[in-house]
Amino acid sequence: MGTKIVNRIMLIAGLISLLHSAFSAAHHRTYLRLTEQDWTRLPLDIVVQIVVSLLVVVYNLIQVVGNFKEIRATVDMQEKSWDTLGNLPSFYTFNHRGMALYQNYEPEESSSAGGSKSSLDVDY
Amino acid sequence: MTYNFKEMGWTDVRDQFRKWRENNERCSDDVIQLWEAVLETRVQKTGNERHLILEQVIIAAFDTSRLDIASKCIQLLSTEFPESLRVMKFEAMRLEAMQMYDEALELLDEIIAKDETNAAPRKRKIAILKAKGKRVEAIKDLCDYLKIFMSDQEAWHELCGLYLAEGEYSKAVFCMEEVLLHNPHSHLIHQRIAEIRYTMGGMENIEISRTYYSQALKLNSNNLRALYGLYLCCSYIANSRALGSKRKEAQKMAHWALETAALRTTKSSKINSNDKLISSLESTLASLDIKSN
Repeated sequence: MGTKIVNRIMLIAGLISLLHSAFSAAHHRTYLRLTEQDWTRLPLDIVVQIVVSLLVVVYNLIQVVGNFKEIRATVDMQEKSWDTLGNLPSFYTFNHRGMALYQNYEPEESSSAGGSKSSLDVDY
Repeated sequence: MTYNFKEMGWTDVRDQFRKWRENNERCSDDVIQLWEAVLETRVQKTGNERHLILEQVIIAAFDTSRLDIASKCIQLLSTEFPESLRVMKFEAMRLEAMQMYDEALELLDEIIAKDETNAAPRKRKIAILKAKGKRVEAIKDLCDYLKIFMSDQEAWHELCGLYLAEGEYSKAVFCMEEVLLHNPHSHLIHQRIAEIRYTMGGMENIEISRTYYSQALKLNSNNLRALYGLYLCCSYIANSRALGSKRKEAQKMAHWALETAALRTTKSSKINSNDKLISSLESTLASLDIKSN
């Protein structure tokens, strides 16, 4: 976000310039009305200011907002693999061996009398 | 993957968490490591993503049996949202992680009774059945669930996995086709259907499998597995008792598939002058004899 300060400043400057050119166009219109001239076109410098500030605003807004996504649906999919596609978060179970691999695992003490059943047995 | 914690600022960690969330990656060890080292003290700063990050950390803590972290995060969420059903679901997951399945089922039934339209606790009940190993009941419950919530992509995907584990390939293909309806551009799902059809065997299924493999290749020409699958289907058709024209066509396709696959592997292989080694290996394997005494 820090590297986009320049873009944000340029964006604000572009917007101010656009407002300024709108104000000067209105000002010019009032002048023409007072001197009773025909109003066919704006003076060249105002037109140039409008176009330039529009381009500045558009470019910097795009830079600030972020990356575009690819429009073709297939290109996005090409990077994916089954590792991430096969993960279904709503159905995650937690009785995998990861439980034993990490620190806080305490294996259950199986009673010596019972014998055959351990915590690994699964009820069918 | 170990991360250099000193170099990663908390914004980088937050962005990495977001990437993992969006890609559905389950790298729980990394999440917990980064959480403990960097993000735990600064979680307030993450603003709107805070609750999503907490949920991500809770699931990662269950995976790595760090129930202390999980309890702390659930506590944080429940103080902020006191009567929330979503937080109750995490409490049920905590009971599940401690293998107290009956209490978890009771809690989930409570949540369902409070809100009949909530899909998440029903899915957790099915996950509990799966964890207990009761696959047949899980399949039955999942089918009932799908009668109510028909457009749940994940559930169809899960049902396909369960049917594959039971060996019911035709039903698994049906489920996968439902998933395909939601993701028509996904070359991986086409490939999966093709693989299930190929496993089912028989001339019709192999021909259908060939079409699906070709579609997967059309969507993604880098899919080496689909290329190999195409080769296997075509060589099966070429060696079977089909019409002559079909066999010729299959043979040509098989030849093309093999060439493309060989080209791609030699291109990406790190061994120099690999093709000479491969051809010598091929000739040695060809001259192997099975002797019976």
